[in-house]
Amino acid sequence: MNVLTVEKITKSFGDFYAVKDLSFSINAGTMFGLLGPNGAGKTTTIRMIMDIIIPDTGTISVLGNTSPKKKSNLIGYLPEERGLYRKMKVMDLLCFLAELKSMNRKSARKEIDSWLERMELGDWKNKKIEELSKGMQQKVQFIGTVVHKPAVIILDEPFMGFDPINTMLIKDILLEQKKNGTTIIFSTHLMENAEKLCDEIVIINKGQAVLSGKLKDIKNNFGRKNIILEYEGDDYFLTSSPLIQKYDNYGNYVEIHLTEKANPQQLLLEAIKTATIRKFEIVEPSLNDIFIETVKKSE
Amino acid sequence: MVSKKLIAVIKREYIVRLKTKGFIIGTFLFPLILFAIIAGSIVLSMKNIQEPKTIVIIDQTGVMYDEFVKQLSDTLSNGEPLYHFTRQDIAPDQLETVSAQLQKRIIAKEIDGYLIIPQNVLETRRAKYAARSVSNFLEMSQFSSTLSRIGANIRLEKLGISPEKIRKEMDLGRISLDTPKITKQGEVKSSTEVNYIIAYILTFFLYMMLIIYGVMIMRSVLEEKTQRITETIISSIRPFELLAGKIIGISALGLTQLLVWGIIILLPLAVGVSFITQFSPDVVELFSYIKLVHISLLTIAFFVFFFVLGFLLYASFFAAIGAIVNSEDEAQQLQIYIMLPIIIQYLIFFTIVQNPESSLAYWTSIIPFFTPILMLARMSVLDPQIPDGLWLSVVLLVVTTYLTIKISAKIYRIGILMYGKRPSLKEVYKWVRYY
Repeated sequence: MNVLTVEKITKSFGDFYAVKDLSFSINAGTMFGLLGPNGAGKTTTIRMIMDIIIPDTGTISVLGNTSPKKKSNLIGYLPEERGLYRKMKVMDLLCFLAELKSMNRKSARKEIDSWLERMELGDWKNKKIEELSKGMQQKVQFIGTVVHKPAVIILDEPFMGFDPINTMLIKDILLEQKKNGTTIIFSTHLMENAEKLCDEIVIINKGQAVLSGKLKDIKNNFGRKNIILEYEGDDYFLTSSPLIQKYDNYGNYVEIHLTEKANPQQLLLEAIKTATIRKFEIVEPSLNDIFIETVKKSE
Repeated sequence: MVSKKLIAVIKREYIVRLKTKGFIIGTFLFPLILFAIIAGSIVLSMKNIQEPKTIVIIDQTGVMYDEFVKQLSDTLSNGEPLYHFTRQDIAPDQLETVSAQLQKRIIAKEIDGYLIIPQNVLETRRAKYAARSVSNFLEMSQFSSTLSRIGANIRLEKLGISPEKIRKEMDLGRISLDTPKITKQGEVKSSTEVNYIIAYILTFFLYMMLIIYGVMIMRSVLEEKTQRITETIISSIRPFELLAGKIIGISALGLTQLLVWGIIILLPLAVGVSFITQFSPDVVELFSYIKLVHISLLTIAFFVFFFVLGFLLYASFFAAIGAIVNSEDEAQQLQIYIMLPIIIQYLIFFTIVQNPESSLAYWTSIIPFFTPILMLARMSVLDPQIPDGLWLSVVLLVVTTYLTIKISAKIYRIGILMYGKRPSLKEVYKWVRYY
């Protein structure tokens, strides 16, 4: 089932196109990565999904709804710029955030209580935000994002500014939410997290999609392969072969980036001429490689 | 239907601020200070702070002393006479030596002053009072008028006319002036002074609300911006609704404060009128003035109207500033531009209240930024006559307020997400155009 559809959205600020003709759609229960270098238009795209910025052209629908009012209640959003009212008490603040998502106060309280327990903030619910540590404040803000049980959770650079323990906690919760059928979208320029978590991705650069689809398919179809090789003997082939674009040599262990369309078997043939091969493995490219390659190509 | 989200924002803005120490102190302390001032002045007026004075009189005419002492027989609150006069008779050629002696006695604080009435005072019409302090001008003019009265009596008697008769005739000939206003309803008994005071009080409340609560709205916007709260909030509610919620919530807070002040100030006044009048007879006079207050329903309706529109106009300006800037410092720099029209109208306020039908009054009061205060002032002074240009000013104010809110809402919508350098006016213009 299609949960979020972004259709040909464009947003320009004067002569500058922040997002141009961008389309993608996301199915229910998907962990979706919105990837791109800094300034690619990720935040602008998210802000358009949230109706914070209105696109010049194009439409965005959530579960078939295009009206901002309906959409906003279906989405939980954790912006990159985070902050809370410092003088408010944790419970009051979370109730307020829940009310802004059309929850009634009573059920909000119950939900908030169980979240606070889960996040080990139970003792803090009547404390003012300013009395909390930075990490606790982030947890509170995360609760505010998910408290109304949204169909879609959108996180802008979620792992920025979270300490490793909170990152783990939030990752676990996200996976659990995904299992319950929640669609999760997050933007990041850190590929490591995206590679581990995402089912599908779109890479955008200069406001345009340069690559999109299931992560698995993308990796399979990516022309370039990497090779891990363990060997003994002369490594002359590393420097001589035209098939190799780049390599990392650790002595008896080498990671090799092939040039585009190079045949790994050809390399194996060249290698056995001078060295004894103990292990030869063709590995999928990392998302990081794909990202760098794709972004460079699009420039 | 009013949206639940809007109500949530209104409630938050209202309750969070209601609970602050500043608000509670301000709300209850202000009337207390006012009471302290009133009570203090009543106590002071009951307790005579005057000290008895010893004054030496050298009456070279020989005929004025008795009358002078008789007429200045004021007493202190404890019944003691205020002035202790001593008569010192001297030979004309001794005047200078005696003066020098008296001056020494003044310095030594044996006496407070001395009065010399020269022999030819009726011709020169000059007497001399020398003292350590001559700054009590009421006392000085009392001395002077007493001497004048005695002098006049002597002159009248010389002409063979009875001063009592003259005084009686003058009293009988006194004519006072009634000042009714001519209106469509006919003659209305009124007092310009009272309407003047009413104009002042009404506009003062508006003025105070504009500044105190306008700045509060600006701060509220700025807080969300500097604390990076805005984006979280406007992902759930339209920026326009958020702005509306802020303005409504904070103005409700202002009205609450006015209400509390009203109750605290008026309640004891209503209950304790007889009590207060016992101590301060002046208050009776005040109450008789209040009966002269003539404010029509139309003016009251317009007070509410101008209050609401004026507040919206300035509040949206303050909100736009809060959205443009990044810090309190920057806000203070820009704030001056809104404060300026507010202050300017207070500078011309008094001129306009005194000449509510002048062309200056007409032209300034139809400028939308001045209308709420100046037109209201003209209205209450002229009441129940409707000032020229009222309807024109209403149209201009409504249009301007509408446009200002629209533009401010746009600036607000963009500005709250813009961090970093403060935008120039040109950039702000771009926001309004492109977004």
